[in-house]
Amino acid sequence: MFKKTPIAAVAAVSMLLIAGGCSATNAGKTEAAKPMAAAPAAAVPAAPAKVDYTKMSAKDLAEYLIFETDSYDLKQATQEGTSGKARLTQDEIQKACSLMKGEELSDKAREKVMALAAASIKYPAGGIKLGDWKKGRELAWSGFGYRTAHNPDDHSNREAGGNCYNCHQLATDRTGGDLGPSLTNYGKYRGASEDMLKYTYDVIYNAHAYFACTSMPRIGASGVLNQQQIADVMAYLFDPNSPVNK
Amino acid sequence: MLKKNLLALPIALAVAGVAYASSGMLPEDALEMQIKKTNNSTYLTQSPQNLMMMPDNPAWEVAEAGEKLFKQARGPKNASLEKCDFGKGPGVLEGAHAELPRYFADTGKVMDLDTRLVHCMKTLQGFTNDDPAIKQKHGSKSDMMKLQTYIGSKSSGMPWNPPMNHPLEKAMRDAGEVMFYRRSGTMDFNCATCHTQTGKRIRASVLPNVYEPADWTKAISWPAHRTSHEEVRSSQHRVLECLWQMRYPNIKIGSDASIAMISFWTDAARGEPAIVPDLKR
Repeated sequence: MFKKTPIAAVAAVSMLLIAGGCSATNAGKTEAAKPMAAAPAAAVPAAPAKVDYTKMSAKDLAEYLIFETDSYDLKQATQEGTSGKARLTQDEIQKACSLMKGEELSDKAREKVMALAAASIKYPAGGIKLGDWKKGRELAWSGFGYRTAHNPDDHSNREAGGNCYNCHQLATDRTGGDLGPSLTNYGKYRGASEDMLKYTYDVIYNAHAYFACTSMPRIGASGVLNQQQIADVMAYLFDPNSPVNK
Repeated sequence: MLKKNLLALPIALAVAGVAYASSGMLPEDALEMQIKKTNNSTYLTQSPQNLMMMPDNPAWEVAEAGEKLFKQARGPKNASLEKCDFGKGPGVLEGAHAELPRYFADTGKVMDLDTRLVHCMKTLQGFTNDDPAIKQKHGSKSDMMKLQTYIGSKSSGMPWNPPMNHPLEKAMRDAGEVMFYRRSGTMDFNCATCHTQTGKRIRASVLPNVYEPADWTKAISWPAHRTSHEEVRSSQHRVLECLWQMRYPNIKIGSDASIAMISFWTDAARGEPAIVPDLKR
């Protein structure tokens, strides 16, 4: 119950006044203030049923805020020709992997994610081959591409990169992040067997096939890099002349 | 010495001109306290240059300009903002920012510093959304950032304490938490991708962990001067930039989704001192 302090009493009274005056909602945008005091009486019954945020589950409210409150530019154009709404709409893997603090992936969900991921992987017609490590080096370094929001990346001026260095250390001549494992000496330590090439291609293309709900973006499946670009990045990882293996 | 440059003196005077509540603390002192408390956390100590520059933070000039603006009669109604209620009563700025976002009975909404300030500029001063005073949201030269930096500085050293008494405050915070973990976009990122481990880096930048409140307070302490931008930035700008990197579409400043996220992230720093204005990379 309310603590017996003057502040709590004031708060309690104001809460009662609010409860009497209008439903508690954040849904009205900037104009929400008006109906409180000055809206014409006729507008009240005519208005559609107000959404009461406090009556929704946290998950439902989050979806509502994202899609129904004019919070995002849902019509914003994307580089791939879709919309802001498509960017915010979750696919099955994203849904399954939106784990809250302490929430564990169920075995069933894990199997589903891995199966979906494996099914998404498309291989080059001529098999997995290594491309140009010098091109791969630049793709691995570049964090450009697919950003929209207030400053959209213009892909007509510059190709999108792989963002690899954001999270991985690769060659030691540039500083990489450490959200992902270090890939320094990747090819030197692992060799370039057919199995290793396939595994690496898969992990770049859609790492969820091996590591369900990994943080690693689905670089191939999401279209961040095409097959040739992946071959170039793989050359950067495997080529004995690549700085990654020096 | 770096500090003995020509800029240091006028800035030091500006600092002296900004009054503190007795319970407040200079941002550099609050930060120093956090560094001790975390035993020199990698996140808090990642930029020795910024630590050294804290007392000469260019944001103080912006705060000083904000104080003048705040007290000046402006807008069609020719009124100052001195009667603006940021949640602790009309004109009370001490500690107000540390208790935002919060529910406001007069609008029936949970509002953050940006939206509450806009509300007052409209209702008290008569500005509209199209006036540059409101419309221009970014940059140290904008009225919004001047005012926010001044108001924010009045909470420096005070513990983050956004109220959770009204059901709407709780609902917004909880929705913000869901959004923090919700993966989407080209790269499948959520906020948790970068902010749930300690000491991890994106390239050279050490990332703050939402589960480490003593570190996290610095991450959410805005306005802050960003040395890489040479501008003072707001919480709303931080949301925008994270979402840009995450390949999300443009979020509208002051939107309910943005306030839900800010409610969650402020709650995650509860009890830790605000470091405002901060100096960041």
